[in-house]
Amino acid sequence: MTTALDTDVRPEDRFISAFEVNHGQTLNGTSASISQQREDAIERFAELGIPTNDLELWKYTNIAKIIDRPYTLPLGAEPASVDPSQIEPFLIDGMDAHRVVLVNGRVDESLSDIGELPPGVVVSSLAQAGKDHPDVVEEHYGKYADFEDEAMTALNTAFVQDGAFVYVPSGTVVEKPIFFLHVTSTDQDLFLQPRHLFVVEDGAIAKIVEAQHSLTDTQTFTNTVGEAFVGEKGNLDHYLIQDEGPNASQVHTRAAQQKDDSVYSTQTITYTGEVIRNNATVEADGSFCESNLFGLCVGKDDMHVDNHTRMDHVQPDCNSNELYKHVLNDESTAVFNGKVFVSRGSQRIDAYQQNDTIVLNNEAQIYTKPELEIYADDVVCSHGATTGQLDDEGIFYLRSRGLSERRAKILMLQAFTEEVISELSIEPLRDYVTDLVRSRFATYV
Amino acid sequence: MSTSETEYLKGKASEEYEHGWYTDIESDKAPKGLSEDIVRFISHKKDEPEWLLDWRLKAYEYFEQLLESGHYPDWAHLDYERPDFQNMRYYAAPKGKADYDNLDEVPDEILETFERLGIPLEEQKALTGVAVDAVMDSVSVATTFKEKLKEKGVIFKSFGEAAKEHPEIVREYLGSVVPYTDNMYAALNSAVFSDGSFVYVPEGVTCPMELSTYFRINEQGTGQFERTLIVTEPGAYVSYLEGCTAPMRKENQLHAAVVELVAHEDSEIKYSTIQNWYPGDEDGEGGVYNLVTKRGICKGDNSKISWTQLETGSAVTQKYPSVILAGDNSVGEFYSVAFTKGHQQADTGTKMQHIGKNTKSTIISKGISADYADNSYRGLVKVGKNADGARNFSQCDSMLLGPDCGAHTYPYIESANPSAQIEHEATTSKVGEDQMFYCHQRGLGEEEALKLIVNGFCKEILQELPMEFAVEAKELLAIELEGSVG
Repeated sequence: MTTALDTDVRPEDRFISAFEVNHGQTLNGTSASISQQREDAIERFAELGIPTNDLELWKYTNIAKIIDRPYTLPLGAEPASVDPSQIEPFLIDGMDAHRVVLVNGRVDESLSDIGELPPGVVVSSLAQAGKDHPDVVEEHYGKYADFEDEAMTALNTAFVQDGAFVYVPSGTVVEKPIFFLHVTSTDQDLFLQPRHLFVVEDGAIAKIVEAQHSLTDTQTFTNTVGEAFVGEKGNLDHYLIQDEGPNASQVHTRAAQQKDDSVYSTQTITYTGEVIRNNATVEADGSFCESNLFGLCVGKDDMHVDNHTRMDHVQPDCNSNELYKHVLNDESTAVFNGKVFVSRGSQRIDAYQQNDTIVLNNEAQIYTKPELEIYADDVVCSHGATTGQLDDEGIFYLRSRGLSERRAKILMLQAFTEEVISELSIEPLRDYVTDLVRSRFATYV
Repeated sequence: MSTSETEYLKGKASEEYEHGWYTDIESDKAPKGLSEDIVRFISHKKDEPEWLLDWRLKAYEYFEQLLESGHYPDWAHLDYERPDFQNMRYYAAPKGKADYDNLDEVPDEILETFERLGIPLEEQKALTGVAVDAVMDSVSVATTFKEKLKEKGVIFKSFGEAAKEHPEIVREYLGSVVPYTDNMYAALNSAVFSDGSFVYVPEGVTCPMELSTYFRINEQGTGQFERTLIVTEPGAYVSYLEGCTAPMRKENQLHAAVVELVAHEDSEIKYSTIQNWYPGDEDGEGGVYNLVTKRGICKGDNSKISWTQLETGSAVTQKYPSVILAGDNSVGEFYSVAFTKGHQQADTGTKMQHIGKNTKSTIISKGISADYADNSYRGLVKVGKNADGARNFSQCDSMLLGPDCGAHTYPYIESANPSAQIEHEATTSKVGEDQMFYCHQRGLGEEEALKLIVNGFCKEILQELPMEFAVEAKELLAIELEGSVG
């Protein structure tokens, strides 16, 4: 069942009426509390409305304009036939992983190859987890991605149906990366809202890789919300590659919560897309946490990438490290808005935030706003931001060593991005991203 | 924090505001409230030309619109009650004549007021060579050194006088940098401003002395709305200083000033502020709302505007002295120390708009927070498409003294030119234990050590101030620290 969104009415109302029409459609096998949350979320969405440029948090990204297109909102499971050969190009060479393929936000088991998992570990669709592991879903679902001030999160919560699910029980180590391959395959303009939940319990270790690709030329909009929980002494690496092509727009919201002595590292590689907004929120709700937020965007054409991060230090003795880099060419635009928040009493926090941008072209634009909001005195917090072009002296040096100007520039750009890419802990993935980025640079000069 | 420090802090916190006395001069006040009639009343009182009244009325109309549609500029990291514009007086002049030809005519009470502020006119005249334009409440009381400036062709007058005597210049530049449509408080100021300073430096003239104005809100229940306009013709140079104080009041007073600077080719304006309005008592009651719009434009090539500020007072401060770098090779600078303690709140910073080619800007901001204060830096560096070779360096450091205060940084960087080089860095930390230890080891006590470290932290800024002010600034900072360091 689908609902075509009527473009004559206010975009908010289209969603609200779609919600009313399809009241019964819900996350399979979920509890009353989740249903209640959906009701609250649509109410909150109605109050907040779709974000406009008037809001400080959306100042540089006009998402309302993108959402106001005649998208189709799928409200039930629709079989989409994707041939295994079609996903072949999206696989990462040499990365032996537990692979799950999601087509239009729903797990496609015939394309997936989960393989053997350590005992107790669950990798499945969220809908399936709602049936098989209601206690885990109940405990963590909707707890970290707050929709009180985020209209897009409220919208996702209201329409929640399916998505990815990972559960790693206490003390379990998942050696191989868990790879979620998201593809869109449709002949319509689709509005998708997948929802993911990743739970890594005390002392457990996991690596999750997500990659977004598209098999269509139609316009799509994906409003994703992903939640992650890392228990005491847990360790989660969470990587995302965004490569959906020039017709795909998205708002990607990630919210993670960490407990004592845990490590959470996330990295976002933005390669293609039309308008992309990433919200990454990490709450270090325990002492001695380590949080790493990295991002890389290599812009081309009229791509618009907006990275918002929020690092919440609500407990003492933690450290966080944030580095976002952009290379902008053509008419691409990048926005970076990072916030480090240290609440009262969260002493001995060591937080670092950096955003560097290389602008290659007259039409490219960068808006950056690294923020600190600090209410504790015994902290070391710093941030830095630079924007500029390639260093002439560096190019001269390389040319004097016999490199062509083109080679010299590509090498310098690679060096610039290496600092972020080298943080990826999976070697085949690192190689894959390095190649991706290098092939982009080759088109620049 | 050790117990001795806590006790010391408590003792000092109960100390009274040094400049908190009230001069009893009969004053000529407008009735409370704001209306078109009040705007006309002010204009009439000041015997203004028709065009100025028209301009005020237009601004007032715009202000009304903003008020009705609720366009309060309350997006900053500040928490205060919106001022009640009807419960305020918009004009209060010391009774009698508004202008004095020489110092002897100035009533003794007023002179005494300034003497207690530490700017005895006579003494300054003799010793420091600073010409002082003292503005109490709203009217310019006395301007010294007029003669000497006249020789050079420098015009340094109260705004009211200038509007009458040099209407062509005032008319050309008034509102050209900060139009009344800029924001609510700029609109309010444009409608009801009662006085301020006007400086005009003709072509090729280097102003022979530092020009200085002291502002003080004296009357109860008044707001202060002064307006400053400084214009430098090609090749001119002027350094201008302003200082501010207000007596202790239970209620909150509003200070909504507008400062406009216009620098033509090869000219330079250096604008320094020491702001020490009454910050409110230890419970956060009373104090001045300092909501000010300051902006300069580097109109001509190779021009330069430099803002230096030391902000220690006011219950609430919201101001962003900005520079529009329109001319090629123009330079904008912003040096700021903001010290907040008690329940003070400050949201201050700058905007650097790079429009011309090879424009440069430097931002150095130091925020110090103590007690329950909140101190935010908010700044914008914007590089336009055609601003080839634009260069910016920003550094914002915050120091936290105590566990209950806050320090925040909100830098905005917008660049649309690939050849622009922008660097921003910020740090937040407390006074290092190692630094303290080192000082102790050298025989310095707790307080002396802190003074030394904080002074070092602010040194980059303080050395930008003209000499006379730098001494005062250091003392002011030391006094402030005595009350709050722990």
